[in-house]
Formats: sequence, C-alpha cells, structure tokens
Amino acid sequence: MRILREWILAIALLVALILDGSISLYLHQFMVYGSYNSACLLVPIGIMLIALFDDTNEKEIWLALGTGIVADIYFLGIIGIYSVFLPLICWACQKVARFLPEVFWARLLVVLLGVIILSIYSWLILSMVGMISISDHLMLISLIPTVIWSLIFTVLTYWVWGTLARDYPFMINLDAYR
Amino acid sequence: MKKFLQNKKLLTTFIIIIIVLAVLGISVNLRRKRNTPLLIQSFGNDIVAVGARVVDVPVSLVSNGLNSAHSILNTQEENNHLKDQVTDLGQTKSRNASLEAENKQLKSALKLKSTLTSYSMVNASVISRSPDSWSDLLVINKGSTAGIRKNMAVMCGGGVIGRVVEVNAASSKIELITTTDKSANRFSVQAKAANGKNVHGIITVISGNNLAFTQVVDSNKLKQGTKVYTSGMGGNSPKGLLIGTVSSTTHDTFGLSDLIKINPAGEVNDPSVVTVIQRKVTG
Repeated sequence: MRILREWILAIALLVALILDGSISLYLHQFMVYGSYNSACLLVPIGIMLIALFDDTNEKEIWLALGTGIVADIYFLGIIGIYSVFLPLICWACQKVARFLPEVFWARLLVVLLGVIILSIYSWLILSMVGMISISDHLMLISLIPTVIWSLIFTVLTYWVWGTLARDYPFMINLDAYR
Repeated sequence: MKKFLQNKKLLTTFIIIIIVLAVLGISVNLRRKRNTPLLIQSFGNDIVAVGARVVDVPVSLVSNGLNSAHSILNTQEENNHLKDQVTDLGQTKSRNASLEAENKQLKSALKLKSTLTSYSMVNASVISRSPDSWSDLLVINKGSTAGIRKNMAVMCGGGVIGRVVEVNAASSKIELITTTDKSANRFSVQAKAANGKNVHGIITVISGNNLAFTQVVDSNKLKQGTKVYTSGMGGNSPKGLLIGTVSSTTHDTFGLSDLIKINPAGEVNDPSVVTVIQRKVTG
C-alpha cells in the first residue's frame, strides 16, 4: 500500500491524460469557434499546479518527463512536445514557487502563462516538422479560447491537485517524517 | 571554446537541446516511414487505449445525455425531413439491390474478382481526440488485429473523414481530412462535370480548414452541388467513396487556376463511430 500511495500522483496524471483525450472528443463542439480551436490541457495544468504546491520534490521532474513521453506517443506519435515542455515547466514552476505568494490568484496567473507558452511552443514545433500549417494570426486568436478553457479547468481541479501534491507526493514516504 | 567546454551548465543545456532535436527528428521520421510503430510504442498506446475505454464510459454517458436533450428540441423538424426521405428510400434500395445483383453477374461473366470499387469495412469507436488546438488526430479502438492497415480511408456520417496514420495491435490513429499536415497523403478524387466528362484532381486543405478540389486536369467547371468521390487512383482508397459536394468555384489568389471549394460530406466535427475502408485491389 505504501508503494501505491507514492504512485498515486502518477496514476492521477494518467487518468488526467485519458480525460484530456475524452473531453477533447466529447466536448469538441463546445471547444471550436469557427476556425479557432481550444486545447484541453488538464495534464499540463496538473503538472504546473503540482510543482507550485510542492516545490521541494525534484522527482516530480522525472514524473513530468514520463507523463510527457506517454502523452506525446499516445496523442501525436512524435516525441518532443509534452516530453520537453512538461519537465521544463515543472522545473520552472518549482523555482517560481519559492518567490510566489501561496494564493490561488498568483498560481492561476502562472498556470495561464504556462498554457500560453505551451500553445506557442507546440505550434512552433509542429509547424517546424510540417505536421501543421497554421498562420500565426490563427494561432494567436486560438490562444483566447484556450486560456478561457484552461481557466475553467484550473478552477475545477485546483483543489484536487493541491490535495494530491500535499498528501501523496511522488516517490516520497511520508511515514518517514511522522 | 575552452570557456564553453568548461561551463558545465551551458554544455549540459547544449547537449540536451541536441538530444531533443535528434529524438524529435527520429520520431517524426519513424511516424512517416514505418507501417507500424515500434513495439514498445505500440504496447504503450494500447495500454493507454484500454484506460481510455474505461474512462470513456462515464464521460460518454454524460455527453450522450446532453446530446439527447439537444436532439429532443430538434425532433419535430428532423421528423418532417426524414419522412420526405423515407418515401424515396424504398425505391432506391430495391433499385440498388437489382443493380448490385446485375453487377455481380456481369463481373462473374467477365471473370473479374475485385475492382477498384470493391472494399470491405471495419467499424470502430473513437475513444480519444488529440487535446491540442492544432493537430486533427483521433484514436479508435481497432488495430492491426482487426485488419486495419496504414493509409486506409476512414468514413463517418456518409462521407470520408480521414485516413489511418498509425496502427497498433488494438488501437489506431486517424488523421482527419481537414489536417494541414504537409506530409499527409491526399485523396485522389473525381467528379462529373456539366458536360458529362469526369474531372480528376486531389483534395487539399485551404485556409480555415476548408477542403478544395485542386490540380484539376480538365478546365470544365463544376456546378455547385456536384458530388466529389474518390477515384481509387491513389493506390490506398477504393473508388466511389463520397468526399463532399462542390460549394463554390473561384480563382486562386494568383488568378491563374480554378479553386473549387468542397463541403465535406463526412462528420468531421463530432465523429463517435467510424468505418475503416479496406480496399480489395492492392497497390
């Protein structure tokens, strides 16, 4: 059971990854506005919130890398989008968390900034490898629905990720501190 | 150079960037060239796909409930429209059956086993969609064990919606026809022009995820509402799959060639069950 407690965060991220795909499928009609698509980013939001809640556990960067590789392979079939962004943003959020006030609004701003960076980074890499051909104008306008949906997802999952990061840190035996 | 090599942080960052670019390049290359992904990748995809099927059950229940409520509001209008269609359907079905029987007899008389129009179908459920804003990729719950192969055409809602780009043992990835992927295979299509001649070309994606009929080899203009079908000439899809109807014919930005816009016939936005088309005539 102790091992399961240490891996609960990883299992939660896997469920979030699957939910990302399911929500994108079933709520697609609500996430498309003409030619502008919104992204469903539960996993990146989760990784950022976990790093902001628990800025001392360096193993979370490895967790982010593993989640990124699985997400890349399952959704896109290429490695280099989530597997690069998630560990980097996890590391950056842990650094930022040390100077950031521990309040919801401050963390929300960091998450939304991260979502914007991820959207631009994925657009850049996918354009570079020729998998998409979308104008910069279309990309910039698409950021608006993505940010709005990410705001909703952050508000809905903030408490969940906070509880998981505090009570079930990745690969750390809390009993050793009790 | 010596300073650069002595700066461990800078050197590590440089090496990581090189590794990331190499992995990216290799994975993109594998995706395009291999018919099946690496065993470990295929295994990982199938494991996540099993999880997706479990999670999909409650999510689809909620989604179907919402859709049902929405459908009830449109029931009367839809019912009137369908009543009109039903009167034609009986006649079309009986005519279709007699033509099919005649076609079979003629093929056997000519000793033709399979033609470009011969195909078999595999039905599958969509379990996931890529969550990013840019790529148009779906994951379905059937793979190579069900006979699915790379590049097969996929239909939903009466028209072609895309093609298979990656096949695992128990799941596959589909790239929608509206994708802006530059390396994606394009459907070779044909349509009957006003003068009765067949016009051939390929389907490409223009701005705003709209489809267009391009590289038209004949200058005959196509009227609005003309149906566009696959021609079976690309080597991957059979002949006669409906792509869409001509919505307008204009000139391209240079004013040199015709740009024929197409309304897709398939359900591109909300596909839940799809049909993968397996062409009988190979290559």
